[in-house]
Amino acid sequence: MKKLPIEHWRIRGLVMAIALLSGIPQVEAANEWGIEHEQATELTGRVVDLACELSGNCPDSCGAGKRQLGLLLPDGKLYPVVKGGTNFAGGTEDLIAHCGKSVQVDGLLIQDPLMTLYFVQRVRSEKTGEWEKASKWGQKWLAANPGKDLGKWFRSDERIHKIVEEGGKLGIPGLIYEEE
Amino acid sequence: MESFTNACRRQRRQNYWLLLQGIALSLAIFFISVAPPVKAATAPQRVQVTGEIIDTWCYVTEIMGDAQGTAHHLCAVWCAIGGIPVSILGEDGNVYMVLRVENEDTNVANPTIVNIQTHKVTVDGDLYERDGVKYLFVTQVADDQGVVNLNHEDYGIIPFGK
Repeated sequence: MKKLPIEHWRIRGLVMAIALLSGIPQVEAANEWGIEHEQATELTGRVVDLACELSGNCPDSCGAGKRQLGLLLPDGKLYPVVKGGTNFAGGTEDLIAHCGKSVQVDGLLIQDPLMTLYFVQRVRSEKTGEWEKASKWGQKWLAANPGKDLGKWFRSDERIHKIVEEGGKLGIPGLIYEEE
Repeated sequence: MESFTNACRRQRRQNYWLLLQGIALSLAIFFISVAPPVKAATAPQRVQVTGEIIDTWCYVTEIMGDAQGTAHHLCAVWCAIGGIPVSILGEDGNVYMVLRVENEDTNVANPTIVNIQTHKVTVDGDLYERDGVKYLFVTQVADDQGVVNLNHEDYGIIPFGK
């Protein structure tokens, strides 16, 4: 790693301190995916039930894991957290314990012209203050499916088996794709 | 004819009145300038949207290429079961994140939403736009044509090919 002159570290520290004090999102070390418009971004915001925040229909506990969640930033911006650390899984499980509270997260902010999304990769633990991987969806699935391969959970999930049995892999009963 | 004393009193009242107006105006300007910006509550817009039910993550990020149709149906089911929000890719090219379908009060891996993946639908609903996202609360599925975007012959099954 190239060493920066001490003046640069001072400037960087000053910038980070200003960013912390002003609530400006900071660039952190989230894993980049090479997605267009992505930016590795650490955010601090309040965990909210998106439907509640928008429409005023608010069940207890942000819907207890059954509602899509978002981050409401101090400046009033609302970002939907659509993806968590498990492949093909969302971020609700990683944030639901923080419903209504402020939380610090690290991940990718994707400000695509079509839609702004947040992909949570790490969550700062309330208890320890340490970063924890956003992998709660996978942990929960594994607890409910002991002995199965979490890496390919989508191949062995009973709910998916049922849907594929009824509608096929293409979504049309009886239609089969034959690989060439 | 008005006496000199009365004229003085009237002038004094006018001066007080002007002073009060000045103070009120100054206070209003002060509070407007120091008060935090209040985000106006956005009222929903009644809309009708026709389009395909898609997986929000794969479509917007393009990590699976053009994530729609029969080619991407299986992946869209995985993601919906995994709790990633479902959207409608409108014929207008917009992506509408679905937060409610009719009387369903949940939107994470909700069976009603999962079971219409890749369907072409026409829905009535309430649209909320905020910070770069179009959120749709579907009040009625007016038409459901099922899966009509047959693109698997061109792309195979995405990802993994089976």
